[in-house]
Amino acid sequence: MPQLSVIPGGRAGDPGPSPVAAAPAGLLEELYRRHAPMVLARCRYLLGDAEAARDAVQDVFVAALRSLPEFRAAASPTTWLTRIAINHCLNVRRASRAAWPAELARLSRDRSERGIDPGPRELVRALLGVAPEEAQEAAVLYFVDELTQAEVAEATGTSLPTVRKRLRAFLAAARGALAEAFPQLVLPDPEELP
Amino acid sequence: MTFSLGGPGVACSSMTVRRLAAGELSGEAGARAEAHLAGCARCQAAARELEAERRALAAELPFEAFAAGVAERLAAGAAAAPVRPAWRRAGPLALALAASLAVAVAAPLVARLASGRSPFVADDGTRIKGGASATLHLRVGAGSRPLDPGEPVPADASLRIGLAPAGHRFAAAAVLDEDGPALLFDGSAVDGPGRAFRWTGRRGLVVVVYDDRPIDGPALLERLARGGPGAAGPGGAAEVVLLPLSRGGP
Repeated sequence: MPQLSVIPGGRAGDPGPSPVAAAPAGLLEELYRRHAPMVLARCRYLLGDAEAARDAVQDVFVAALRSLPEFRAAASPTTWLTRIAINHCLNVRRASRAAWPAELARLSRDRSERGIDPGPRELVRALLGVAPEEAQEAAVLYFVDELTQAEVAEATGTSLPTVRKRLRAFLAAARGALAEAFPQLVLPDPEELP
Repeated sequence: MTFSLGGPGVACSSMTVRRLAAGELSGEAGARAEAHLAGCARCQAAARELEAERRALAAELPFEAFAAGVAERLAAGAAAAPVRPAWRRAGPLALALAASLAVAVAAPLVARLASGRSPFVADDGTRIKGGASATLHLRVGAGSRPLDPGEPVPADASLRIGLAPAGHRFAAAAVLDEDGPALLFDGSAVDGPGRAFRWTGRRGLVVVVYDDRPIDGPALLERLARGGPGAAGPGGAAEVVLLPLSRGGP
């Protein structure tokens, strides 16, 4: 048993708000050096356009600076910024919905006409368009950023059952879309995801 | 043919490689990640990808252009806030604080800052956001204050768990550390927990489970002992929140 002793009747008073520290000098340069490479790569991956990705990176860091207390309190600043980047780019993509089905059709054409199989990340990106909105972020964090289901739950502030449900929803939607575009491909059983 | 969409490996994660490179993993976790990286081709590929991302950033968006764009957006208030549930629940006080910080940060950005202290030094802890949540409070004199994320638990400190059950009626909390699990509380999520506790381990977790049905404390301990924190949830509508505990140091 842990070395734990319970103190009966030890209820403490109500806590006040967390103190907010001033932003230190050099913060933006530090953020850029540590995190901007990953954020740019994630934005380019999700948006598929270099100029849109450069704009998105700057938007993401503005959002981070605007919620600096949350950023500094995050267990992992890298994971926190990744979430901001994913959600920002998914919102941008949703605003141009027409691009979603076109990507799956292109991958299907590449395979049938040129024999080129899609890469896993490429396929996940194309399938985001057919997945329910609430499943998209979990799918990117799990399949692309390779967080475990428990880490996705922690990063998104949801429960493990919720993450499993969202990944199942993503795979169910993906299966439906692939039956037409890639009838030969079989996706993993959601119950067997590690 | 069965097609892999990617996802984490048994011990591999590109996010772990990135966190290691960003200096977020230290002590045991950092040593473990470095040792794994040294012998794992998949993680070495992730590290090479990260290096390529660095080169791409330097070529496509040098710091000067990046900083100018960020400063311009901050000054214009052009960037949209991210869609994040925790933000929407943050309330006027937190939003006002965030806004005041944006102003504080925007001014020095325009002046192009010199390098300074790393903002990441004390950011090793965890704060869970969204849905139900929980916080640890440290008793100080007659009152208390929140235990900062990553802050080591002082010796002989008296801790209390603050519950934010987000509509769930029942809660249970346990400590899980190197010596196994121990139950702190099970009962009403609204009225509890009413007791403070002391913890004298080195590294561990407080596991808080919320549910709409009463939670069986001993059964929770059994699940934690068998399957660790990932097995804490009893299923159904339950939510699980993990809060790290540490004494600091390696």
